[in-house]
Amino acid sequence: MSSIRVNPFPMPDLLAALDQLQQQTANTTLELATGSSINKPSDNPAGAAEVIRLNAESSQADSFQSSIGSINGQFSTADSTFSSVVTVLQRAISLGVEAANGTLSDADRAAVATELTGIQSQLLSLANTSYQGQYIFAGTATTQPFVVDPTQPSGVRYAGNTGINHVTIGAGYQLQVNVPGSQIFNGPGADMFLAINDMITAVQSNTGIGATVTEVGSALTYITGQRVFYGNALNQTQSQQTYLNTQSLSLSQQLNTVAGADFAALASQLVSNQTARTATLDAIGRIPQNSLFDFLK
Amino acid sequence: MSSLYGALSIATGAMAAEQGAMDATSNNVANANTPGYSRQRPVLVESDPIVLGSITYGQGVTLQRLESVRDPILQLRIDQETQQQGQLNTYVSALQQAQVQFTGSNSDIPSQISNFFSSLNQLSTDPTNISLRQGVLTAAGNLATVFNNTSASLTQQQTNTDLSVTQTVQQVNTLTGQIAALNTQISQLQGVGQDASAFEDQRDVLIGHLSGLIDVSSIKSDNSLTLTTSNGTPLVVGGQSFSLATQTNLSGHQDVYAQGVDITSKLTSGQLAGLIQVRDQTLPGLVANLDTLASGLANALNTANAKGFDLYGNPGGNLFVPPPVSGQGYAATIAVQITDPSLIAASSDGSQGSNGNVAVLAAVQNANVAGGQTPSDYYASIVANVGNDVSNGSAELTASQLALTQLQDQLGSISGVSLNEEAVHMVQYQSAYDAAAKVVTTINEMLTTVINMGTLTG
Repeated sequence: MSSIRVNPFPMPDLLAALDQLQQQTANTTLELATGSSINKPSDNPAGAAEVIRLNAESSQADSFQSSIGSINGQFSTADSTFSSVVTVLQRAISLGVEAANGTLSDADRAAVATELTGIQSQLLSLANTSYQGQYIFAGTATTQPFVVDPTQPSGVRYAGNTGINHVTIGAGYQLQVNVPGSQIFNGPGADMFLAINDMITAVQSNTGIGATVTEVGSALTYITGQRVFYGNALNQTQSQQTYLNTQSLSLSQQLNTVAGADFAALASQLVSNQTARTATLDAIGRIPQNSLFDFLK
Repeated sequence: MSSLYGALSIATGAMAAEQGAMDATSNNVANANTPGYSRQRPVLVESDPIVLGSITYGQGVTLQRLESVRDPILQLRIDQETQQQGQLNTYVSALQQAQVQFTGSNSDIPSQISNFFSSLNQLSTDPTNISLRQGVLTAAGNLATVFNNTSASLTQQQTNTDLSVTQTVQQVNTLTGQIAALNTQISQLQGVGQDASAFEDQRDVLIGHLSGLIDVSSIKSDNSLTLTTSNGTPLVVGGQSFSLATQTNLSGHQDVYAQGVDITSKLTSGQLAGLIQVRDQTLPGLVANLDTLASGLANALNTANAKGFDLYGNPGGNLFVPPPVSGQGYAATIAVQITDPSLIAASSDGSQGSNGNVAVLAAVQNANVAGGQTPSDYYASIVANVGNDVSNGSAELTASQLALTQLQDQLGSISGVSLNEEAVHMVQYQSAYDAAAKVVTTINEMLTTVINMGTLTG
């Protein structure tokens, strides 16, 4: 016999083709269901690694956002404390100016001195402001930073430290989050508590009140200068938040580029798989079931 | 001189030969769907002629034997490809199982690493806050647990693979025993000149199964067959089979021995080689990667914690139970050392409210602490390697399957039973049989004529 024999059993080839189509359809369906083209590392090894890096970056960005949220609360508290301190000091100045006028009776000056003593306590309380249980002007100490101490010329002693904390709000971006209370309220030549104490003494003795008004004014100017730090910090966290939002968006776009499912392509793939599957099944169905034997009489 | 009786014997001989040929067809049709069956074909030869004077008289046809149509070289290539496929199949399916551990989820290793460092970032905003400190300890515990679980899953898979090694060795022994028994039957039949093709077909099927399990080379001589592994260890020599044995090695796994010699590392293909590769290289490699990552992280975080001061003002101690110097087995055992959240050394100067050392701890996230890479980059490279191995292995497996299908197709075109062909043969043999019977009838009539001649004269 000279003709080439063909394999009389084509079934295994067709079954293999059918298996492969079924596998492809399952993969396509999974991608459609999860919306991701990488459902296991072998789908795209380099892509799977990229996804891990992008996810890590993305969760770091989220973490910075959440840190900013926490420190902003502290900054706002500090800022409103400064606001109150400024108001109180301005009141002290106007009281001093009034007392220096020379037209006040002794009783009136005594009343002014009493009000100034109240202001002194108010300032002490403001300088000891805390946020979530932590004194915000104590440096890195946890004890109450300003305590009454009659041995001091100002009557108040700073019990905090000069420690400074930083919080990371971006990759390699460390933001200073506090200024020690001693730096704010005990400025050189501008000690708020000394100035008020001096003013109270001057009003009580009715001597040199004008000089103490200047002294309190200097303290106010100095503190206003310190306040700029917190204003700046709030500005910085706001612009960093905007940056982190943009970064998160860009990361999720990159993630989508690497691992997002291409729905249009998948849909057409699914259709062509189905067509191929139908054709293969049809081919299997059409394999002649008869042979020459059926025609022999 | 020829005689009518001589012609009659030629015709009856022809009838017998065609009938024998019909047997082959009948057997082929019967075994059309039998796996491993090689079609038979009758070998018809002309009988030796007789020379009388100047005339040579043909003596008809003889059915010499029924011959199975085989291609031993092709069969050998199929066996080799089956070995390749057996190894790849085992390797790829084990890797596919392993890569599940490295498929992204919300609670996988990189997520827990990120969660841990996020908890540190949170702590830096309020370093004395006990609930934030507790958050760091909880995240550290989750990180340790996910390392433990991932490592345990891979080790469990390794144990299962080890069981499969033992089972595969048992299957190999069963098959070599069966093949040796068939060898005996075949050589006995062939020794007395009988057809042993039915047993040879069975033996080919068994060798095919064996090839899926182990790298086997076959050497066929006249009546016997020798099977060895590719490094020459005998498995079957004629009627004798040599069992493989397993023996527990230092790591508690089963090594494969042939007649007292350890052949574990010498197996190159077949399921057994695939299992050993997965058990001794692939899975331990992945576990070692996790060990490197876990110990790198723990060492760096312990060092960082020691640079600061805890809430009591004391220098920081270990955050994690320190890993062994080699790091070996650490992913399975990594645990948080401290239970008191105050022991996290957040402070850089001993003052309680300082957060300076939190930044040192958090910097580990972007430091090259594992294999010269950051934790997440190192993990990403593990994933990329696993993915590449699965993807390359699958491609090789597909190629091997394709090659095997083609070879089997080729073998089918040589040895497979074609019903059409058998129908043609049947028609041929039947008509030849009919014709020979017609010759017998005719000679019978001629003999009658001769006998009647005697009656007329007498």
